Amino acid sequence: MKRFLWFIIPIILTVVLWEVVSRGGFVSLALFPPPSKVAAALWEMVTAGTLFYDTRDSLGRLLAGLLIGSAVGILMGLLTGRMKSFANVLSPVIQILRPLPPVAIIPLVIVWFGIDDGAKVFSIAFAVFFPVWINTYIGARQIPQAFLWSAQLLTSSSVKTFRDVVFPAALPFVIAGIRNAIAIAFIMVFVSELAGASSGLGYRISITHLAYRIDEMMAALFVLAALGALVDQLFVLGTRKVFPWIKLSST
Amino acid sequence: MSHISVNNVSVHYDSYCVLKGIAFEASKGEFVAIIGKSGSGKTTFLHALARFIPFAGDICAPKNIGMVFQHYAVFPWLTASENIAFGLGYKTENERAQIVREHLSLAELEEKKDKYPAELSGGQVQRIALARSLAHNPEVLLMDEPYGALDAYTRDKMQQWLLDVWATHKKTVIFVTHNIEEALFLADRVLILNHHKFTKEFTVPFARPRREEIKFTPEFNQLRKVIFEGING
Repeated sequence: MKRFLWFIIPIILTVVLWEVVSRGGFVSLALFPPPSKVAAALWEMVTAGTLFYDTRDSLGRLLAGLLIGSAVGILMGLLTGRMKSFANVLSPVIQILRPLPPVAIIPLVIVWFGIDDGAKVFSIAFAVFFPVWINTYIGARQIPQAFLWSAQLLTSSSVKTFRDVVFPAALPFVIAGIRNAIAIAFIMVFVSELAGASSGLGYRISITHLAYRIDEMMAALFVLAALGALVDQLFVLGTRKVFPWIKLSST
Repeated sequence: MSHISVNNVSVHYDSYCVLKGIAFEASKGEFVAIIGKSGSGKTTFLHALARFIPFAGDICAPKNIGMVFQHYAVFPWLTASENIAFGLGYKTENERAQIVREHLSLAELEEKKDKYPAELSGGQVQRIALARSLAHNPEVLLMDEPYGALDAYTRDKMQQWLLDVWATHKKTVIFVTHNIEEALFLADRVLILNHHKFTKEFTVPFARPRREEIKFTPEFNQLRKVIFEGING
């Protein structure tokens, strides 16, 4: 109960302060609408159905990009982390591309693939790949030698060693990389929808800006932030459920 | 005939010589303890026997080797029973289940079969490590300071348990330790590894089965003193 109060009281205080400041005539009501007006705009978006379709489209692009980027990042991370030949061939290319800000490729992606969903998924997957790859690579590099020697004595199958020893041993790093990637994927879905889309939360924010509907813009921003926190927490809960040993081993 | 025969084996890490032309023999079913100061090459010797590292010289040993490491190396992502079953995929499901059951019983951990290593005590994890090695029915078992991280009471219990397991399975065991008392209590023979070579060898005269009480006899303490002097001499 005490913990809940510590959580909820600052939020209530912030909302009340915001309402007072906004309605107190200190700032322009149109530029800084009060939370009651933002809530009304949010409800309007819910009833009109736009919020559902925007959230569905943004989330669909985000999850597809996250899935593809993470899968490729994990595979490449394990291969470059454990196999010298792969590291020699792939690491220089990856290291050259890694410092590139992922949003910088969006104009090129639009030229190549247009502005449909495939282009957005590609941009998100590209951005997601690097944090997942580098974390997996580090995880795969620092597997205790005793695990690998044990596997060498217990099985002759290198596929089994990779699947049942190298991958789980690197998993805590993989998970850290994916959590990092989730935040990056949200940036990318927003920016790629700003750059050209006909649906999605990024698109909604861009057209509310043109229509000067700051209340709707704030409502869409609020949903985007809440969605980011929700996806992150669901990921954490999911990994704890599927891999309970990670939490046990770290305590 | 020797079960393990090592002739003129040397191991170098870059320009540093860890083992220098050593020779070693062990007969089938023998329990040999290797003792020596830190950095004398005890662990390196086991790694060469298991063919984990490159070496010069000849090692003639069975291919089917099991190893229990200093720091467990039990997989934290697998439960006790899954650890024991690891690498037994070539067996039928019934055979595998039978082997896992037998070795959980050997480790006295039937009740903890679904627990992860992080939920078990140090002694229990070490029993899983040994049970996992034995599940593959190795001809030779290499043990690298397996009880180094355990408290004195658990270590004593684990030594007795290991002797009981060894009496049943009769594997050839090469056991590396820092602890003279442990080496004397467990082994048929104790070898001192000093300055990159085996410098002394002692045959342990105590009859088997051995019980804790022998550690308090004058003969045991006398031999302990001789070995201590041998290591520091």
